[in-house]
Amino acid sequence: MSQKFSATLRIGDLNDYIAPSQGCVVSLNSNSNRIDKSQNVGKAGALSKPVQKEPVKISLKDCLACSGCITSAETVMLEKQSLDEFLSNLEKGKTVIVSLSPQSRASLAIHYELSSLQVFRKLTTLFKTLGVKAIFDTSCSRDLTLIESCNEFMVRYKESQCASSGESKPPLPMISSSCPGWICYAEKTLGSYILPYISSVKSPQQTIGAVVKNYICQKLSVRPVDIYHVTVMPCYDKKLEAAREDFVFQVDTDSEKITEVDSVLTTGEVLDLIQLKAVDFQSLEESPLDKLFANIDEEGHLYGVHGSSGGYAETIYRHVAKVLLGQEVKGPLAFKTIRNSDFQEVSLEVNDKSVLKFALCYGFRNLQNVVRKLKMGKCDYHFLEIMACPSGCLNGGGQIKPQSGQSGKELIQLLETAYVENVVVSDPFNNPIIKGLYSEWLEQPGSEKAKRYLHTKYHPVVKSITSQLQNW
Amino acid sequence: MDFELREIQRLDGHTDRVWCVAWKPDTGINGVPAVLASCSGDKTVRIWEHNSIGSFQCQAVLEEIHTRTVRSCAWSPSGKYLATASFDATTAIWENVGVDFECVSTLEGHDNEVKSVSWNASLGTLLATSGRDKSVWIWEVLPGNEFDCVSVLQGHTQDVKMVQWNPSMDTLFSCSYDNTIKVWVEDDDSDDWHCIQTLCESNNGHTSTVWSLAFDASGDKMVSCSDDLTVKIWTDVGRVQGSHNNAPWKHVCTLSGYHDRTIFSVHWSREGIIASGAADDAICLFVENNDNEVDGPSFKLLLKKEKAHEIDVNSVQWNSGDKRLLASASDDGTVKIWELVRLSE
Amino acid sequence: MIDVILDLKVVIHFVRDIRDPEHPYSLEQLSVLSEESITVDEKLGRILITFTPTIQHCSMATVIGLCLREKLKNCFPPHFKVDIKVAPGSHADEESVNKQLNDKERVAAAMENPNLRQLVDECLYSSEL
Repeated sequence: MSQKFSATLRIGDLNDYIAPSQGCVVSLNSNSNRIDKSQNVGKAGALSKPVQKEPVKISLKDCLACSGCITSAETVMLEKQSLDEFLSNLEKGKTVIVSLSPQSRASLAIHYELSSLQVFRKLTTLFKTLGVKAIFDTSCSRDLTLIESCNEFMVRYKESQCASSGESKPPLPMISSSCPGWICYAEKTLGSYILPYISSVKSPQQTIGAVVKNYICQKLSVRPVDIYHVTVMPCYDKKLEAAREDFVFQVDTDSEKITEVDSVLTTGEVLDLIQLKAVDFQSLEESPLDKLFANIDEEGHLYGVHGSSGGYAETIYRHVAKVLLGQEVKGPLAFKTIRNSDFQEVSLEVNDKSVLKFALCYGFRNLQNVVRKLKMGKCDYHFLEIMACPSGCLNGGGQIKPQSGQSGKELIQLLETAYVENVVVSDPFNNPIIKGLYSEWLEQPGSEKAKRYLHTKYHPVVKSITSQLQNW
Repeated sequence: MDFELREIQRLDGHTDRVWCVAWKPDTGINGVPAVLASCSGDKTVRIWEHNSIGSFQCQAVLEEIHTRTVRSCAWSPSGKYLATASFDATTAIWENVGVDFECVSTLEGHDNEVKSVSWNASLGTLLATSGRDKSVWIWEVLPGNEFDCVSVLQGHTQDVKMVQWNPSMDTLFSCSYDNTIKVWVEDDDSDDWHCIQTLCESNNGHTSTVWSLAFDASGDKMVSCSDDLTVKIWTDVGRVQGSHNNAPWKHVCTLSGYHDRTIFSVHWSREGIIASGAADDAICLFVENNDNEVDGPSFKLLLKKEKAHEIDVNSVQWNSGDKRLLASASDDGTVKIWELVRLSE
Repeated sequence: MIDVILDLKVVIHFVRDIRDPEHPYSLEQLSVLSEESITVDEKLGRILITFTPTIQHCSMATVIGLCLREKLKNCFPPHFKVDIKVAPGSHADEESVNKQLNDKERVAAAMENPNLRQLVDECLYSSEL
């Protein structure tokens, strides 16, 4: 399996010891009866060798649904979610929209020795030159994700305080849902017991997908089917997320299927694009940003939440402390390192009683420990921000690799600095764009509309028999 | 000098192949009766004790925890705990109280078959496991029978057959179906672990699956065995020369031509005798050859016990006590206890 | 132990009717194996079967190998040493298939998988050809 995927996905992989051509079981399912049973068989040896049919095309969706492995997914993905596909859609005259993640901007900023804002402006120039209609910012959709997450947590937390023991109560801890490596691992390997803990809120990538294809398309007067929406992400696993069946919708039962996010490019692939187009990125002109859906204020400052992996724990913690417990937490949160820098917790005590206990839990080993605690009933956290990669999203597999002589840890330090540099820390609830979305479209957090567009479901994946037969 | 590997006793009881045997530390010495654990395809672990009338008897059967083959077992340095690795994807920790064994913890996480388990020698504060999912896991042993995962190492490209801690420092070794041996150490900032060396074909390593490895008493030398029908000796040049380098382990010599089918197990006795068990049903013993100092250390065959078992010998283990006792486990479902005796002239 | 005479005829007798996992024919009918596929060393008690998968990318080659191994295990005393290989050049992943089929730990684990066990049993004992 490709080293590009998060370690979590790689460990969750069943077995790719047989080369993809042979290991993939999807083709087998549709191609199993190569000899027609009614065919006349002669004596031993007289039977001609069966002719191999055309190889069956496997989509990324097939891979995800299969549970066998995602070994062969990479080749599939390179076809469906690649630079070539992106460029060919531009040529076809589709309305192409690109949504940039702040982590990708930080990675390019370090690579080109620019600021994140400069990178954002230069990428806007680059993509517009190529014919992209609009360039958006997933820190904006992330604010929407965060507000919905705060709301979901409040509901769960209040219910947990009630004495009544309803069977269907969504349990605590609530676990963040924005890391596709974690979701894939939970569904494929951990199974049904873990899924109710996971927040139902879509990740910022899928949230922006839903916003673009359901709402912004109307603003732009473009049919959703005519939009080709690409996100730029720090993470290969995001490609798997975009390909989930849950993120494809139809307006009517017989209308065309619409995919929230058509393709995901990693930061590294954008670097490839810059090099492919022989652009001198550092001296590229800086364009104004698309204010329609980007966290940029009147003075031209970027704004967003604290926390380079999305700030889920911190934002929900502050919100609940303020709204539910009447305690405004001033200054930075006092995260305590538990076992290593990738496992930190913060708790709020009222009358010597811990009322809020949150943790950041990054990387596969720490994930294992909390899952283990959870399974043994020894997990007293209310919220877990789980990310598959050590150091979180800035260290995603799709980011630009360290320069020679630079250690991974050094690069993370630089990225953390670049990520927060000149970004005004701002409460998502004060985001004017998101306020507008609620007033014009979604009504309020947790509304039926919000549930329909911004929430999703998880499905345990049962290991297919075919994959077991092949990969032993 | 002539030696003979004399069969002391055959231990029957397992109803399927026996994969692995492990002597309880500090038994068979100073009057403490020798205790041996064996694990099997019959999903059980058996504990055998040397009784007062001089024979080994099954003292306990550890069952109903593992649902598939128990592939390997290892005692903690204190002998208080026995860890068992199973094809059921779990590692069980058994606490030994008197003659009873209670399963006090089950470690989950490997995606499928767990193949090996090893406690670090110093204090038994770390436990390593490996499996078919190509990973090596390091767990920290915490009070209250709690285990925290400190690292998941994914350097191997195929299933990891065995993990083994060096006896004198917390360095972990793993060997694999990918034909390599990897050396793992903790980061300088103690945050995680990483691979510092890979012993493979290009540095005189094995050319097929490496099934097992073991250390001499000092931890300066290592022996490994493979499906390539060879046994290889390695030495820690870094430590021997007192220098710090990134490729401390060097190949010393290769013993070939002694087994003609896969060699599954090697073990180094405290006094320096290497035992090997293989699919040719034989056990070989090797000792260092001091006749030829010029070309550096070499090893020679001390004896070969043909037909040590009916079929494949899966595991050989020296007892570190008073007598030169060797235990062996086989596909024939038996464990055998051997004594290496010097024949009088 | 019953003394089993080990020769070519005996071996082919036991394995010729094993059914292919994917096709309703025996391995012999599909020319996956024949008498030429089998080498026997009576003195050393060794059996080598070199089978030819129907196609280069046959995904069931390892299952066919498991069937052969299981059948021989059931029919011969355990001290016979068995090697199973695909014929040289007959499979795209020849080396890895051979390595897997001759790793007894992998084989043991596979035979503990109920789905694989069932498939192998069907191939060995089903008379539905």
